[in-house]
Amino acid sequence: MAQKEHSKVIERELTMSRAMVEAIAHEMRENEEVFYMGEDVADYGGIFDSTQGLLDEFGYDRIMDVPISETAYLGAAVGAAQEGMRPIAELMFVDFFGVAMDQIYNQMAKNTYMSGGNVSVPLVLTAAVGGTYNDAAQHSQTLYGTFAHVPGLKVVVPSTAYDAKGLMHNAIRDDDPVMYMFHKRLMGIGWLPAPDGPKTPVPEEDYTIPFGSADVKREGDDVTIVTLGLHVHRALEAAESLADDGVSAEVVDLRSLVPLDTDTVVESVEKTGNLVVVDEDYRSFGVTGEIVASVAEENLGALDNVERLAIPDVPIPYSRPLENEVVPDVADIEAAVERTQ
Amino acid sequence: MSGDTDRVEVTVGEWPDDADSDEGVVVNWFTREGASVTEGESLCEVQIEKVSLDVLAPADGTLVEVVCGEDDEFARGDTLAWVSPA
Amino acid sequence: MVSVSELQEMYVDMVTARHYEERLQEEYLEGKQPAFDISAGPIPGELHLAAGHEAAAAGVCQHLRDDDAVTATHRPHHVAIAKGVDLERMTAEIFGRETGLGKGKGGHMHLFDPDVNFACSGIIAEGCPPAAGAGLAAKKRNTDSVAVAYLGEGAIDQGAFLESLNFAAVHDLPVVFVIEDNDWAISMPKDRVTDVENGAQRAGGFDMPGVRVDHDDAVAIYDAAKEAIGRARDRNGPTLIEVQVHRRMGHFMGDPESYRPEEDQEAAAERDSIARLEADLQSHGVDEETIEELRDDAHERVEDAIDFAKDQPEPDPSAAHEDMFVNPPSGVTDTEPEYDLAGGDD
Ligand SMILES: Cc1ncc(C[n+]2csc(CCOP(=O)(O)OP(=O)(O)O)c2C)c(N)n1
Ligand SMILES: [Mg+2]
Repeated sequence: MAQKEHSKVIERELTMSRAMVEAIAHEMRENEEVFYMGEDVADYGGIFDSTQGLLDEFGYDRIMDVPISETAYLGAAVGAAQEGMRPIAELMFVDFFGVAMDQIYNQMAKNTYMSGGNVSVPLVLTAAVGGTYNDAAQHSQTLYGTFAHVPGLKVVVPSTAYDAKGLMHNAIRDDDPVMYMFHKRLMGIGWLPAPDGPKTPVPEEDYTIPFGSADVKREGDDVTIVTLGLHVHRALEAAESLADDGVSAEVVDLRSLVPLDTDTVVESVEKTGNLVVVDEDYRSFGVTGEIVASVAEENLGALDNVERLAIPDVPIPYSRPLENEVVPDVADIEAAVERTQ
Repeated sequence: MSGDTDRVEVTVGEWPDDADSDEGVVVNWFTREGASVTEGESLCEVQIEKVSLDVLAPADGTLVEVVCGEDDEFARGDTLAWVSPA
Repeated sequence: MVSVSELQEMYVDMVTARHYEERLQEEYLEGKQPAFDISAGPIPGELHLAAGHEAAAAGVCQHLRDDDAVTATHRPHHVAIAKGVDLERMTAEIFGRETGLGKGKGGHMHLFDPDVNFACSGIIAEGCPPAAGAGLAAKKRNTDSVAVAYLGEGAIDQGAFLESLNFAAVHDLPVVFVIEDNDWAISMPKDRVTDVENGAQRAGGFDMPGVRVDHDDAVAIYDAAKEAIGRARDRNGPTLIEVQVHRRMGHFMGDPESYRPEEDQEAAAERDSIARLEADLQSHGVDEETIEELRDDAHERVEDAIDFAKDQPEPDPSAAHEDMFVNPPSGVTDTEPEYDLAGGDD
């Protein structure tokens, strides 16, 4: 509950996209070496509003539209970062990672280690993730596990405007490569309405949120729901309705997958005894299994019940009833919690 | 709206020229009732025919009343909120 | 020389495609007004319509048979129509219905109709390698089928395209790459992303013929495609063609196009390949009445397809878990045969 620790009352509320942009603009003003590259980030302001308004202040040299050549511009971002600049490069949809995966997996992630720590890659790779609006199999994935799996990338997933700003400041200042994965449904875009929750009070000044600090978004005693991104809000809604049935759910927002704040998760499970992990990525070999295994390694005895909710190992289907079937919703979370009680 | 003449209305300043529609929707409020505002600050975001626009505070003061909440539709010229100048 | 009946066939494809896109636009916007919510209405998700691109589909596909492969892009409807994809099942797919081409799983960017060897993909330039593969299969099997890959001018900077050009060239594959140049890649004008004015120039680097058609004139495209596809069928290798088309609508429905100069929009609306083809038909002696009849029939076919689609049931949610594999997960066999692997030792 980091935002509650602030003593000053913040009245202004921002959408997640505006909070992200505010952090980027601040860092660009402070540091000439920060620049942004991506498709449709200049005049369009980012298909998901990730660079809205930045062109006016910083111009085409620093808010750079690039050819549809992800290998070239993501790789170029790695190279510029190794020269000491601080590029931010955007994959319009995370699903497009495939055409440039080598630059991400074999360079961005590994150069620091392979150089024995002699080379650093201060690059932020932003990417829009997630479904729930029927954009089908090639435009709806989150792929959290794919990027958290390869060693060498810090992986950040904000769920609120407050977190988005603090995590973005930290990402740009970090000397290591950071994947900053923002959920389209949380950005507060007019044509893709957000649930209640991601729009939060946001301080005007800059602040950093450390990676690896999970945030307990709601306290509870009976069950621990561990999740991230959009599903933080679905879990909170489920927790609200479970409370009416006398079940007290704690909601842990991971905020980053790498590093992973296992301590906060284990502490919560030690209190509740029950673990429900909710993820919008594929079920197998991914986030849900990793969280359960991490808790089991730390304190197997604390686990009375375990439930996992994720995409059931199929590509995301287009049609509304089919997509609704595979993406965990509030009722699915409630049912999973009930099974642990 | 009980005759307090010193309240200033918050409206969409310039309707986009290429919009055929005279209706819009409030998408996001950034300020709550009772909060102080500064002239020119973004109070809310509206969508008119797929184009997003920020609606700015007409004066320094307090946002005393939100007339059109999030997801509410409004017509060209409607009052979205009232600001009581400082 | 193009025959009158071929001109008429191309005309039918083009007016079908144009009407199709205009009607889908209406259907798509239903339930999305006044607030545009992309997930609302009878057709949710992104929708990329090809109004203004029709000549590139009709002029090329006129030379193709059902066994020739076509891979299209995220903007596929006009090409699908010209290739002869089942219009009713394609429309049912776009409406997310059970009887759609992909049972509602694919959606408008992922249409597959194996009966006419058509597929498309939402990832930029991703149709190029599979088209090369279809060409490779034709070559290995010694058939005279060809493959056509469509891409936008924004896709000519993508590795998948450039690698495919080289692959097709070095193996002399029967493939034709067709660039639809509509001047825009979403909000990015061509000159912002490449120094090459004419995408067909890319061919030179691979020692392949590159042809540019400067107008979206169906007959000119027909002529260029005739030569290229003939070359491919005769085993003389691949060709790259770029044709000028126009984007009459936004990149996707809901694109406010704030980045686009008004003159550009107006120019796109003016340069209408359909009107041009009508004039061509008339100069070939086809009277107005016949043209009108062709157009009315095409419109009716579109209306029928949309009515059909809207009548179809939505898929049952349980279907989401089906169709992962065509064989059982264990492969073609359930059990492994038993061998005595220690056999030779004693
Ligand atoms: C690898 C990849 N990068 C980016 C995108 C996002 N995207 C979809 S369409 C498009 C523009 C394509 O422009 P162009 O190839 O000219 O085709 P047009 O849309 O103009 O028909 C982009 C960047 C994508 N689908 N795939
Ligand atoms: Mg284009």
